[in-house]
Amino acid sequence: MKFFSYALGIIICFVVIVGFEETSIYAKSKVDTFALCLECHPKTKDLTMKGRVHQPLKEGKCTECHNPHVSKHPTLLSDIGGELCYNCHDRKKGFIGIVVHRPVEEGNCLVCHNAHSSDIKALLKKAGGDGCFSCHPKEGIIAKKNIHPEVRKGNCSSCHNPHASDREGLLNKDRRSLCAGCHTETVAFANMHMGYKVGGSDCLGCHSPHSSNRKGILKASLHKPFEENKCSSCHVAGSTAVVRTGMSLCVDCHKTSMEGFNKISNHLILGKNDSFCNSCHNPHASDERYLLKDKEKRVCYECHTDTKDYVAKSAHKHPKIGECLDCHVAHGSNALFFLSKGSNTCSQEKCHETQGTFTHPIGEKIIDPRSKVAMDCSTCHNPMGSPESSILRFEKDKELCVQCHQM
Amino acid sequence: MCSMSSNVSGAKVMIRKINTNDNGQQASYISWKVFSYIQLLILFVLYFLFPVQLYSKEKAEIKVVAVISGDEIVGKLNKPSGLFFDEIRKRLYVADSGNNRLISFDSEFKYLNELSHEELILPTSIVRNKEGHFFILDNGKADIIFIDLEKKVVEPLSLTGIPPGKEKFVPGRIAIDKANRLYIIDKLNKRLLIVEQTGKFVREITVKDKNFLGLTDVRVDNNGDIYAVDAVSGSVYVFDNKGEMVSRFGGRASSIGTLRFPVSLAIDKNGLIYVVDQHAGKVSVFDKKGSLQYTIAKPGVKEGELSNPSYIFIDREGRIYLIDGNRIQVFKE
Repeated sequence: MKFFSYALGIIICFVVIVGFEETSIYAKSKVDTFALCLECHPKTKDLTMKGRVHQPLKEGKCTECHNPHVSKHPTLLSDIGGELCYNCHDRKKGFIGIVVHRPVEEGNCLVCHNAHSSDIKALLKKAGGDGCFSCHPKEGIIAKKNIHPEVRKGNCSSCHNPHASDREGLLNKDRRSLCAGCHTETVAFANMHMGYKVGGSDCLGCHSPHSSNRKGILKASLHKPFEENKCSSCHVAGSTAVVRTGMSLCVDCHKTSMEGFNKISNHLILGKNDSFCNSCHNPHASDERYLLKDKEKRVCYECHTDTKDYVAKSAHKHPKIGECLDCHVAHGSNALFFLSKGSNTCSQEKCHETQGTFTHPIGEKIIDPRSKVAMDCSTCHNPMGSPESSILRFEKDKELCVQCHQM
Repeated sequence: MCSMSSNVSGAKVMIRKINTNDNGQQASYISWKVFSYIQLLILFVLYFLFPVQLYSKEKAEIKVVAVISGDEIVGKLNKPSGLFFDEIRKRLYVADSGNNRLISFDSEFKYLNELSHEELILPTSIVRNKEGHFFILDNGKADIIFIDLEKKVVEPLSLTGIPPGKEKFVPGRIAIDKANRLYIIDKLNKRLLIVEQTGKFVREITVKDKNFLGLTDVRVDNNGDIYAVDAVSGSVYVFDNKGEMVSRFGGRASSIGTLRFPVSLAIDKNGLIYVVDQHAGKVSVFDKKGSLQYTIAKPGVKEGELSNPSYIFIDREGRIYLIDGNRIQVFKE
């Protein structure tokens, strides 16, 4: 017990002395350090004149970020990128989420922010949307006739979190409640929606959040009954309830669509949705072909998560990866891998029409000696991705050929 | 534990002794070596106390019995989708879907016969009852077809008494039990229908699991226990003969014991569950509780490798039939 008392005493003394010395050194050097830096870096003084100055600079603490003697990082920074910033800006507070803005993920805080000072709040390099448009081309966002007012003002952060979010698109709130923050259910609002109570619906199912050539920034392609205001074709009058549940509602008009599913391989699976057709399609409006409920690859990757991961980690990818329906049939196929033209899929639409005529022979009569089945493009190439160039299944100089042509 | 204590104390003695050595570097090296041994010993003990699968158990002793892809007599197989081995007649029946036919082979896998019929458009799943009648899932008609070869009857099986679901009933793969009851996947209503061979509804099994997305394949063992796989969620479900879920395992991932895209399953005579993982190009073998025992095959196109496995069947002799793209590989453990 006596030993512990002594030990504790020694530790306390050590902490107090060292702490006092540290404080003394810091207090003494606080002003001197900044003045010393200014001797060689006089322009730094100008940086402090701007509207907003980074706190360490304001306090003259250059050494908070820079090492005055030596560093392995550029501009003598004491750490690299975001790691340096996280020394003060708690990473757990706003920089972590299911979706992280790429500059944040890569620790490139200075893509958006100035390190020393700025005339714009949050030390941003550019005001509002101008900063965002540096990476996210304006053309794809506000080029159309009718623009969402917040987008026009460049208030991207009204809806998006620039750092991280648990929601797709770095949205500040759930898609269903985000819009309700501004758009309250007034009489005019109800009239615009034909009297249907759409509050709590997913607005982005029908409306583009940025801009559109359609009135009410509706999406580009509209389901015919929706476009013609014939809501009662599908809905019980005055209610969001549908007149019939499930696919039978759709098949009433799309009479032949079920034939597409009557194949050896088909996508007859309900998946995560309550309604079969709505698993992939939006019954009202879409910016995508076939009234898909989201971007093509997002729709497919919702279930094909393994393929998504495989594609993401593949060094070489087919240029049309993500445009799944260029090669695959969504409803059903009698060919392997849901291919639209079986082994001739690669030469369809004149994509690779000369393949097989001037390179390695392929076709029904050319048998792969390893598998004893007919060779096609996918014998040597993996269209979903590969670590090898030309999305080859094996290294091209030797390993690929010796699979069949033994030395 | 006694032996471990003595080992540890022994190590301390060695360290003390070595530290007195004149050669400082040598002493340090040896002491680290001793520490490494101790660490290994601790890991060894921990492994036995808390068994964890640290590595994939690949079983190499697989013999390729046959590879069937067709020949000049039978023609090339075109997207075969289902098969079973008839233990009574010792015949292999294959649903050669792309060629709109059923083919039979003898136990040496020599072509015997084929059946084409206007009622058979895209036969994909095939089972047979004790009386020798076939039940075929036909994706072209989205129907179950009943075949009595003796009476030359090929007709759709009329299902009666099926409780309506939210979506239209579209049959998926089928299985049959000892009592000749058919187990039919109801693809869009996320349930399994059990019907008499006459088509009369017996009961339904629904899966109470938030991760469940829909059934892809189903099997029934001799005890009436039901095994089903959900490719999209990557899960295998085991139900008792009353339809109560007794275990769920797998899950979509790449780590040991998980499955990337399981599309078919079969049960062997020892009760082991063989799950075809299409994207991983292998078969993972689990016990009934879902503990991975070992894996069979590896991705590739050579004999014994799997490039696009889609269906599995195991006969009483333990031969494993795997539909792999446009070929059927027969393995023996």
